[in-house]
Formats: sequence, structure tokens, C-alpha cells
Amino acid sequence: MHSSKPANPDSALLAEQLARVALGDRAAFRRVYELSSAHLFGVALRILNRRDLAEEVLQESFVSVWHKAGDYQASMAAPMTWLISVVRNRALDLVRSAAQRHETALPQDEDGRELDIEDGKGDLLDMLGEATEALSVRGCMDALDAPHRQSLALAYYHGLSHSEVAEQMAAPLGSVKAWVRRGLDRLKRCLEAQA
Amino acid sequence: MNYQRPELIDRLASEYALGTLRGPALRRFRRLMQQSPQIRQAVQQWETRLAALAVSVPPVAPPAKTLLAIEAQLGWATKPRASLWSWLRPAMVFSVGLVIGVGAVMLQPQRFVSLDALAQREQALPQSYVGLLTDREGRPTVLASSTRQGTRMTIKLLRPLDVPTGKVLQLWALPQDEAGKPLAAFPLGVVPATAKGGFEMAASAESLLSNVTRLGVTLQEAPAAAGDAPPASAEAFVLTGHCVKLW
Repeated sequence: MHSSKPANPDSALLAEQLARVALGDRAAFRRVYELSSAHLFGVALRILNRRDLAEEVLQESFVSVWHKAGDYQASMAAPMTWLISVVRNRALDLVRSAAQRHETALPQDEDGRELDIEDGKGDLLDMLGEATEALSVRGCMDALDAPHRQSLALAYYHGLSHSEVAEQMAAPLGSVKAWVRRGLDRLKRCLEAQA
Repeated sequence: MNYQRPELIDRLASEYALGTLRGPALRRFRRLMQQSPQIRQAVQQWETRLAALAVSVPPVAPPAKTLLAIEAQLGWATKPRASLWSWLRPAMVFSVGLVIGVGAVMLQPQRFVSLDALAQREQALPQSYVGLLTDREGRPTVLASSTRQGTRMTIKLLRPLDVPTGKVLQLWALPQDEAGKPLAAFPLGVVPATAKGGFEMAASAESLLSNVTRLGVTLQEAPAAAGDAPPASAEAFVLTGHCVKLW
């Protein structure tokens, strides 16, 4: 699976610094933050659409990284993969708990500012295209119908549930579930074929 | 549903990693994930595949205050200080405040009173046995602790340890009688060469360590078994340190 690890930042350097964090090295912890925080903040911001919540998630994630760096196994995943999973899972937890409180979506921030991220459908597909390009699987993924790619991108980059994707795309829930599934299957097959 | 089916595991793992698994299905899957290495592996594979899609997400610099907030939450907000504190503080924050008394007694006796007062204020230290082992240069290297009635010895490495392939780090208890005369050392367990870990002892800390005043670590071919002869001389120990009662 290492062939599909995110390209930035320097994976070996990050893995080495994480190993030092596990031994309580604060300078290494700051280095990990310096190397990865902008990328991780970008990921959280896409899902949460609010700077204050993304900051909160980034903060909790790094506190957790300090405590759990010993759990990170370099043999199992690239360091950035692990860090992205920590941040995405926390961001998704926040989104889910907001949904449980019957808020249809996370509100705008308290100052009523515009949401930070604006994604037209094209923008999201471009982002997916760019990522699959970097993974050398763009051709393989582009063979998938646009709505399939679109629903996968909405679920991944914005952390939307099936029903939220359905609402965004004005499509039946059953269709969206099938599209997301096909998108995931396709991604797996493309990456395996590429490897 | 039959959660043994690999294709079902793969499907649920993909939806979990994507974030579309919600509600009762999510809770059920999290429970299963804790029990099954196979499921954890499937999730990990999907997290790796999907994390690759994040490569194109434009980075956004977080505000400078975020790192300060993280450090404050970790209890690092104050100025850097002597090296003793650099490892003592995080341990305290994470509730292993156990090191306070030991570190002070071992390295800076004159600070003992104030640190003890701090520990008293925390009111959070369980009755425990604590050992702080230093290397031959006197650098704190291994922190070993167990609650008084517990059987688990928790080990925290304070410095990286270079363990040659095929060797293990054997932790020994060095007891003494009431008159202070050394009694035969006995093996406690193997120190894991990871940052944090531990092992189960043969009996509770109280029954094993009540007359143990020192701990030692030898580098040897295989773990020692109960009844094995102790190291022939003090020279055999690569790490040694006091073992104290924290109550």
C-alpha cells in the first residue's frame, strides 16, 4: 500500500520525527506539526467548512498524536496517511455529533461570516482528478461516470453522508449509495492495477 | 449479517474509512473493529487508499495560536527549563505523576519538598511502586511503575534503547532484608524496546516488591525464568535505579 501514500511532506523525515515523538521529544513534535499542519488543516476545513471547528479538530488531533505516537506503526502506513486518518476521524466525529443534535448541517461561524470553502462541482472533480493523476490512476478513474466520481468526492472531501450526498446531487439515495460503492470499488481496482 | 465474510468486511471497512458509515451500523462496526485484527487491517488498507486522495487538498496554514493552544493543552505553556523537567512535565500531565517523587529523590533531593507539595496538591497519585533506571552515565532511561496491588508493570522509555538483534533487556528486582543486607535478585520481566509498553508480573507488585529497593536491567540472550541465577556482579547491569513506594 505504500505506493499510494500521499506524496507530501517527506515521508521518511516525518516517520523519523514521529518515532521521536513517541519517546517524548517535543522538538520532534513541533517539527511534525510544522511539516503536516497546513495540509491537515486543509483536510479538516474541507469537511467542517468552519475555521474555528477545523482549528479545534487540529488541536485535538495533535494532542492525540502526542499521546498516541507510540501506536503509529511505520510498517503499516505512511505517516501522512496515519495523520490524515486521525484528523479525518475527529472531523467526522464532530460532523456526526452535530447531525445527531438534529442540526441539518454545521452552521456558519458565530460571526456569521461566509463559509470558508466554496466548491462548485467542477472544483471537487478537479481535486479528485488531480489526486488520481498524482497516483497515476486518473485514466482508470475517469472511466467512471461523472456522478459516481462526484458522489465519492463529496463523501470524501466534505465528509458527507449518503443522504447528504443525495441531497446535494438531487439524486435518489439508493442511486447515490450504489455510485459511492462503485467509486470505492473502482478506486481499489485502479490502485491495485497500478501497483 | 455474517461479519466473517471478507467481502462484507471490505465493504464496511471502506465505508467506515470514507465516513459514510453512520448510526447503529457505525457503532456495531467499531465494536467489531476492536475485536478483530482482520477488520482493523481492512480499515487500515482503506484509510491508506483514501488518504492518497487528500494529496490534492490545498494546504491552508492554521493560525499561529493553534500550536500554542496545543502546547498549552499538553501542559507545556511555561518556559523551557532544566532537562529533568523536559521529561517530567508531560508524564505528569498524562497522569503518570508518579515520577515526581522519584525524579526528585534521585536527581535533585533539594527540590523534593516543593515537588512533593505539588504532588499532594494534585491528589491523584495512586499507591504505586516506581523505579527510575539510569544508564551508566547517570541519564534517566527507563521508568517502571506498577500500582501497589496490580500485576502489570508499565514501562516507559525516556531515551531510545539500542537492543542488538537476538538480545533482550531483562528487568531484575534487587531486594534486601530489614537490616539492609542484599538478598538474591530475581527476574521481573522483559523491558519492551518500544517507547511505552509493559508486562505482566508473576504476582502483585506488593507481594514482589515490598522489600525491593533497587531495580536493574541486564542485556542477555533470552528472558530469565523464575529461579534463574541472578547476574554474577553489579557490572552486568546496563541500567540500575532505585525502586520506591509512592505512598
